[in-house]
Amino acid sequence: MAEGASGAPPLLRVEGLSIGYRDAMGRVAAAVRDLSFELAEGGSLGIVGESGSGKSTAARALLGHYRGAGERTGGRILIRGKVLDERDPGSLARLRGIDVAFVPQNPLSSLTYHLKVGAQLVEILRTRVGLDAGAARRRALELMARTRLPDPDALFERYPHQLSGGQRQRVVIACALACQPRLLVLDEPTTALDKSTEVQVLELVRELRRSLGVGLVLVTHDLNVVAQMCDEVLVMKDGARVEHGPTAATFAQPATAYTRELVASVLRLDAAAPADRAQHAQPPLVEAQGLGHVYRTGGWWRGRAADAAPALRGVDLMLRPGEVLGVIGESGSGKSTLGGALAGLLAPSEGRMRFQGEPLPGGAAARGREQRRRIQMVFQDPLSSLNPRQRVGTAIARPMQVFFGLGRRQAWDRAAALLDELGLDAAFLERYPRQLSGGQQQRVAIARALAAEPELIVCDEFTSALDATVQAQVIDRLLQVQARRALALVVITHDLGVVWRMAHRVLVLRDGLVHEQGLTAEVFANPASDYTRLLLSAATSASRQGQDSTLAQAANA
Amino acid sequence: MSDRLRLVARRPLALVGIALVLAHLLMAITAPWWIPHDPTELVGPALEPPDETFVFGTDELGRDFLSRVAMGGRLAILVAFSAGLIAAIGGGLVGLAAAYWRGWFDDVVSRLVELKLAIPSILFVSLFVTGFGQSIGVLIAVIAVIKMMGAIRTSRAAGMQLMALGYVKAAQLRGERGPAIIVREMLPSVIDLLLVEFALRSSSALLLVSALSFLGLGLSPPTPDWGLMIHAGLSAIHSEPWLILIPAVCISTLVIGINFATEGIADAWGLDAARGGAHG
Repeated sequence: MAEGASGAPPLLRVEGLSIGYRDAMGRVAAAVRDLSFELAEGGSLGIVGESGSGKSTAARALLGHYRGAGERTGGRILIRGKVLDERDPGSLARLRGIDVAFVPQNPLSSLTYHLKVGAQLVEILRTRVGLDAGAARRRALELMARTRLPDPDALFERYPHQLSGGQRQRVVIACALACQPRLLVLDEPTTALDKSTEVQVLELVRELRRSLGVGLVLVTHDLNVVAQMCDEVLVMKDGARVEHGPTAATFAQPATAYTRELVASVLRLDAAAPADRAQHAQPPLVEAQGLGHVYRTGGWWRGRAADAAPALRGVDLMLRPGEVLGVIGESGSGKSTLGGALAGLLAPSEGRMRFQGEPLPGGAAARGREQRRRIQMVFQDPLSSLNPRQRVGTAIARPMQVFFGLGRRQAWDRAAALLDELGLDAAFLERYPRQLSGGQQQRVAIARALAAEPELIVCDEFTSALDATVQAQVIDRLLQVQARRALALVVITHDLGVVWRMAHRVLVLRDGLVHEQGLTAEVFANPASDYTRLLLSAATSASRQGQDSTLAQAANA
Repeated sequence: MSDRLRLVARRPLALVGIALVLAHLLMAITAPWWIPHDPTELVGPALEPPDETFVFGTDELGRDFLSRVAMGGRLAILVAFSAGLIAAIGGGLVGLAAAYWRGWFDDVVSRLVELKLAIPSILFVSLFVTGFGQSIGVLIAVIAVIKMMGAIRTSRAAGMQLMALGYVKAAQLRGERGPAIIVREMLPSVIDLLLVEFALRSSSALLLVSALSFLGLGLSPPTPDWGLMIHAGLSAIHSEPWLILIPAVCISTLVIGINFATEGIADAWGLDAARGGAHG
């Protein structure tokens, strides 16, 4: 793992680092516990873990930065043999940007919004490198070209909001490279980006690393990113190291159960996609023809504002009872609009829907009680999908009271049975949502949807707020319930792994249009379009690496 | 819950505020039992300076000033807190309703709020008082309406955020009716905010009541009231300044107390509504 034997100190050495956060009551909660690792010059290390594992806290400490009430409670960090002292502003100033540079998650909030992109680069070059105005401008344009920004001269004069997400992240990377640092710390650099943009940004970082020889510490929850980018991987859980080793070997043969679970939760094309279990003999459950939607703005007295581009255009769709349909696409592709139209959150401006052969009006208010009962929804954020002031029992009982007129006692008894079906103890009925973990909250939300005994559940990004291992549990539970009750599901997600595990058929949306659709196994094996291929390629590298480490090494070379 | 109380207890400012408010409430409630004289009766020579019989001296008519000060907050506090309560609950419901229904209802409510905010409160009250007469009921109603505007804005903004959340959407998809969703799902989530609204609106309502009494638009003599007392003491401001100073200190300590307590509690619980505090 550590190759610093040549006498020269390693680029980065972390010895027994512990970090704690002090809360308002003065109690210290450990965020990082006794963490040690080394990184050679030009090496690359991926730190992976679920939320709360302390990976971001550890990465920020490499720049001597502690968020809020965080503080170093033990250990030390050496950069090229020099101890990093976060209490000495002078040495921090010499360190940041010059030895170690940082690329944060959200490129929009890390750029100053009222300054032109070029001016921000020039400012760094003038104050930190000491170039004069002319030289700084030339160097800034050079850096922008270096980070593959199209037409640097034009972009130089633009403001951050006029750039795309991918372009912004390139600008941030250009800023980070301005002082030619030896170590680049990237904190979830692609999480805010679409899959296809992510591929390009990662490609850029890989290329820069090769040509500039900078060391890389990359923090992410996405094992695929690590597989593509890093020679070594450090798996963290609850602030401590779980496993540390070469990426390919670690993913191929995890030494710990936790890492095995993490790797298993990533999309693996060697496992079989769900077979087509739809009951073809039965009439369709849902049919939609020519669905289109435009979000309109403006009120009754302001006059109608200019209509935005349609979010959905002429989408046809058919779903049989007991069938799981995956809807994928990037943000803005219209997939949530489609889900909202089916669930009744919005009335589509065009097209017709039928449910069990009868017309299905848009918007829940226009639907009959039976239709409202038979179509349920599970939302993205599990915490906010449950009322913080209501006990779990109250939340699950409510649909039964509304739809079946049950009394409180009966409804709570049935709520207990539903919780049991989803693997939760009846004791949870008395708890408030805040007292539950994310995975438990989402299972409660599923129980609430099931309480109405629906035929169709629309799941809108229902796993994206959950950690990988929790995702797997929630998906398993839902699939069991789906099979047992022959439920139809519409699974809206940007996560192809979820679609692969759950969906019999898949629908690829792009710019509001159906781009491709078919059986999941067929679409994944033979994507008919470049767009689908790109979506797929971004998602599958970790599993490939797990199967074939030589291929991964070739990708890393 | 005990953690929430402990967080408050660690803030000296909040403790000072709570102590001030409690002291005022204690005085207002117990005053009838311990005041030495009837506050409306002439018991001595006018404008007597403080001595052992009249601890705060006597006022311009020869009434015991201590008894008047002790009793002088009762009505104002009653008016202010009733108005604050109505403003918080009413404003909360109207604001949530505007966020829920949007459309023309929201437009009308929002324009009315803006319109009201553009009219000086004193002018607004004097119009009402001339129209409906100068009674305590009218006073509470008109101050409640004035103070409701801020509560509407606060709860409308909070309501807009709630509308995007899953549990409100889920209730809509169940086909529950608007009023049920507002009361069952949304109101409980903004109750913290409304508590803060109640406290802040009450403190600014107290200032307004006192100002109105001072101007002769609020409570009427011979009721003992701090605002009225300041007005009466004006003519003697150079010779007997305590006639103004003592009631003024009473008003300010109560208002400051409410504001400190609210700000401290809101801060400790991580609420944002306390920014700005009470004014006018």
